[in-house]
Amino acid sequence: MPLNDADLVARVLVDDDHHAFAELVRNHQSAVRGLLRQLTRTDLALADDLAQETFLRAYKNIRSFRGEAKFSTWLYRIAYNCFREEARKRKELVGIDESRLEAEHDPQTVDPALKHDLMHALQLLPLPERSAILLCCQNGLSHDEAARVLEIPLGTVKTNVLRGREKLKKTLAAWSTA
Amino acid sequence: MDEQLQEDWLERRLREEMPYIDDAGFTARVVQKLPAARPRHSYRAVILIGITLLASVIAYLISDGGRFLIVEAYRLATLPVFFVGLLAICGSLALTAIAASAAWNNVREQR
Repeated sequence: MPLNDADLVARVLVDDDHHAFAELVRNHQSAVRGLLRQLTRTDLALADDLAQETFLRAYKNIRSFRGEAKFSTWLYRIAYNCFREEARKRKELVGIDESRLEAEHDPQTVDPALKHDLMHALQLLPLPERSAILLCCQNGLSHDEAARVLEIPLGTVKTNVLRGREKLKKTLAAWSTA
Repeated sequence: MDEQLQEDWLERRLREEMPYIDDAGFTARVVQKLPAARPRHSYRAVILIGITLLASVIAYLISDGGRFLIVEAYRLATLPVFFVGLLAICGSLALTAIAASAAWNNVREQR
């Protein structure tokens, strides 16, 4: 019978069990790497480096996981912090280069192969809206959980999800009529 | 209504388009970088044995060199056969109950 996250965490805590931690990594690697790929705008190498850092930090700080939230939510929070630190290091603004955003939002300038590509449309969103959409709509977190991951007020998460959805719809509609 | 349908469609597509990323050695790379497992310094056994030895020494000293053991062994040896038999039956029943309870717990944990 496969062990659940709580059992695996308990094994890591009590026995420092690397096999149990490997199982946790296997169970969550796709979601964490997927989230980071979207946050880094599909920079696969950077996303995987950050994902690796996320799991290493999770291992080192596993005693601070008190089981109040889901293990995946706790991991997303570490992943988002890793991403934010990296963004700060690279002096990237939280958000997006506005001129690039405008250029890409113009249906005429978008590569035809990418039209109707929802993932591409997602990457055009500013970071706050993109991260809220990714966590709530794609990874199925509640607004409350997303607020904890992003460390922002609940109302801001709701606003960002609404705005992000509107922009996605507009982008996709513009592409379909172009 | 249309708005709601559109939002549902958007969320459904977002979930559908989230590809499963194949592990492709990622887990192995993470595990390789984990700090070595901490050596397990368990002082539990040392403490338990120490306390047991200490308690034994104290009991030996308090009981006048363990004289009560000799007295009780003598009493037991001179008990009527009926009581010795009764004691043996009660003892074996108690042991059986403990073993059955341990086996039951073991089976429950394995399920």
